[in-house]
Amino acid sequence: MLKRIVLTTLAAGIVSAAGLAQADDETIDETIKVGMSGGYFPFTFVEQDKLQGFEVDVMEAVAEEMGVEVEFITANFSGLFGMLESGRIDTIANQITITEERAAKYAFTEPYVYDGAQVVVKEGNDTIQSIEDLKGKTVAVNLGSNYEALLRELPYADEIDIRTYESNIEQDTALGRVDAFVMDRVSASQVIKEKPMPLALAGKPFSQIRNALPFRDTDEDRALRDRVDEALTTLRESGELRTISEAWFATDITSP
Amino acid sequence: MSVLDLDYMLGLVPVLLRYLPLTLQMAAAGMALALVLACGLAVIRVLRIPGLNAATLLFISFFRGTPLLVQLFLFYYGLPQLLAFLTQINGITATIMGLTLHFSAYMAESIRAAIVGVDRSQTEAALSIGMTNGQLMRRIVLPQATRVAVPTLMNYFIDMIKATSLAFTLGVTELMGATQKEAAGSFLYFEAFITVALFYWIIVELLAWFQRRLETRLNEAYRR
Repeated sequence: MLKRIVLTTLAAGIVSAAGLAQADDETIDETIKVGMSGGYFPFTFVEQDKLQGFEVDVMEAVAEEMGVEVEFITANFSGLFGMLESGRIDTIANQITITEERAAKYAFTEPYVYDGAQVVVKEGNDTIQSIEDLKGKTVAVNLGSNYEALLRELPYADEIDIRTYESNIEQDTALGRVDAFVMDRVSASQVIKEKPMPLALAGKPFSQIRNALPFRDTDEDRALRDRVDEALTTLRESGELRTISEAWFATDITSP
Repeated sequence: MSVLDLDYMLGLVPVLLRYLPLTLQMAAAGMALALVLACGLAVIRVLRIPGLNAATLLFISFFRGTPLLVQLFLFYYGLPQLLAFLTQINGITATIMGLTLHFSAYMAESIRAAIVGVDRSQTEAALSIGMTNGQLMRRIVLPQATRVAVPTLMNYFIDMIKATSLAFTLGVTELMGATQKEAAGSFLYFEAFITVALFYWIIVELLAWFQRRLETRLNEAYRR
């Protein structure tokens, strides 16, 4: 009996492992591997199993311009930089903001999105009108995102209870578990406009943000970065970048 | 927001069904490999093989003593920084490896306990009628140990199926990863997560049913 159970499970295991190994083994001439969370509306999200969003459209246009294939790899946001570091992806298209620390470690393209950080509160909460009002409040940010660093740089950072989340910060703000969340202005307005959640923008955006694609800082990857940059410049000049932006946001977020 | 969006939930079912095989395959592969490894570890522990016994104790101590998520991150993101060729390992393989190592540590102990739990008099009786050590294990000890070990091993299998939900942190879109992304697109968190919860629940219930049948069979000799 034991033998049969072990053999059956073994057989099932080996068959599935072999199947998985095969399914993963594809070789196309040149593919640029792009990591994204798939969980950042409307930049990268999934509806009915279809990955879509601003980042998807931009990267597809870039790949077409470069004459290469593009492969999207989705993972939790906190896993993305690990994937970049360990060489599993070539770059991250997930509204990655250029920060000092990141710029020291990675080779960035030119910015392709200009934006600002925005405080968002539950609808009807008028105790928060600006970032100064975050003193003594609980504020949610995405784990590993630069908004956490932005908040920690404020002179009164130790008076803010900063909570880091893997995902679902909009939901926890709408539920009242935290007083506010901080996200980029563009996607915050989009969330409020399109989704059935009682949220409102609080005050003006408080810091200019430039988003770009990070590459590993090696000769080979810098060369790839330069080709991507070239493609982005062409797309910007042909107006295609603006067209993509307007399709998603009804405004051009790709120029300052 | 106030009313449950049933249409959305129904629409999600075929999407999630596409990711169910991957979840089950990772769990099945992990379980098969963990069973083999755990049996080896258990034998080392039972026979107290010098040298190997100490290594096994260290292995079990580490893999039982650290969270599965930490182990997964260590294999997938940490080790490739030291050993570049490890980048070749994809997320699915890394998940299966993580599940195997983690759960074999637990399973080794319950298999060991089941073997040790077979009454010593059985061994003595078997040896007294001239059975070899191999015959003793195959005919007397293992069949009885299996009956004792099956319920706990099934428990670990159930746990392992649910633990595959960590794979999305390694970039593997399985049942949970697919749900998270769908929820991010629709913002219908309750609907999305209750749907995936039902998925896991149903799988586990099917397994529990299989376990009951298996136990009935294994208990046949003990029925009065």
